Amino acid sequence: MYLPFLAIGLIGIISAQCLIFLYAPIESTLGISQKIFYIHLPLAWWGLLAFFLLFATSILYLWKRDLRFHFISLAAGELGELLAVLTVATGSIWGKIAWGVWWTWDPRLTTALVLCFIYGGWLILRTMEWPLVKRATILSVTGIIAFLDVPLVFISARIWRSIHPAVFTSNGIGMTHEMILTVLFSIASFGLFFIGLLLLRIKTLEKELFIESIINRI
Amino acid sequence: MWRICLAIIQKDCTILLLRGSSVLHAILLGLLLIFTFSFSLSPGDTLSCQTSATIFWISSLFCLILLFNQLFAVEETNGQRFALSMLPSPPFLLWLAKTATGLGLLLISQLVFLPACIVFLGHAPSPNTFLITLANITITDLGICSLGSLLGALAQGQASKESLLSILLFPLLTPLLLAGISIHSQCMEGLQENISQWFTLATAFDCIFLASTSYFFSFIYSDDE
Repeated sequence: MYLPFLAIGLIGIISAQCLIFLYAPIESTLGISQKIFYIHLPLAWWGLLAFFLLFATSILYLWKRDLRFHFISLAAGELGELLAVLTVATGSIWGKIAWGVWWTWDPRLTTALVLCFIYGGWLILRTMEWPLVKRATILSVTGIIAFLDVPLVFISARIWRSIHPAVFTSNGIGMTHEMILTVLFSIASFGLFFIGLLLLRIKTLEKELFIESIINRI
Repeated sequence: MWRICLAIIQKDCTILLLRGSSVLHAILLGLLLIFTFSFSLSPGDTLSCQTSATIFWISSLFCLILLFNQLFAVEETNGQRFALSMLPSPPFLLWLAKTATGLGLLLISQLVFLPACIVFLGHAPSPNTFLITLANITITDLGICSLGSLLGALAQGQASKESLLSILLFPLLTPLLLAGISIHSQCMEGLQENISQWFTLATAFDCIFLASTSYFFSFIYSDDE
């Protein structure tokens, strides 16, 4: 089931590169460095969505006590962390070109990094020696509490006068028609690839549990 | 039921305070941190108010980690954890008792850290901001103790519980600490207009942490199978 998503997503991501470099115009102020935005934005959005999925499935696990929800939250947490780290990395590369520094005290940058640390800590919890059900409960509880920090990433830029560029503002979208089309295509392609990876990881986690149960029986 | 809560607070306070070394270890660690940071100063120099406030809160946080480890280790090391989780009261009361005890002990520790910061780092809150300093410490402590109580219960039984608690606690508390540090710093160098925003942020996080940790404590402390 995951293969079509991975294949279409991969083709989409390759096609998106063509759109980014051949179709979308070069931004007048930031120049060619703005092109990283078409990768940075999908990574950030799908990363946050992964964290939301982790949050939602953690609630569902505590409510229904169904291990399938736990596996979805584990897969979403791993992918979310990966995407969050890539978001910070791509943002840092862009920051070096645009601002002249790899890192600066900016609330949105800092809170994004804090999110990486929070979910990094959450991933460390997975390695603790707890029985499966207890570990699932603990990860669900911490997954819910960790998500409480996510809205801060959104509001921080507004509260603390961020220098991070805001594309989507109350005055509209600061992009041309071609740029909007390219970014939407990029978001969709990354989304399909993300779903494929998520399904693949859920399947491997289920197989892992199955193999563990066989070993325990032996 | 509230009597059970008070009995747990009394038990924890008696054990930790009469044993002496438990709270003393935590206070000593905080003091050592403040003292070590003062090495970065040349004679006659002073740190900025923001750095001084950060050191105060870092010391408080390390102290909190030791305090909550000891608060839960009291039952864990004596094999009494199940006895406590079988009390004829909702787990919420146990969380409340542990949070209240932790808060009290942390406030006692900060009574030592505050003068130590003034002596070693050279900054004191101005007298007219005394109430704001007090309110800031109480509001920030409330949030960090509620989360410390939940994560302290979670980390018990693990070989690396101190490091586990630090890894989980530090990033989760960042927004609250940011507010605490900003207000504390303003109390020393002069109040600014945005102080109410910081108080709003701290109070909002207090509400979020108090509500979520009190609710989820029962999942962490009773679900052992």
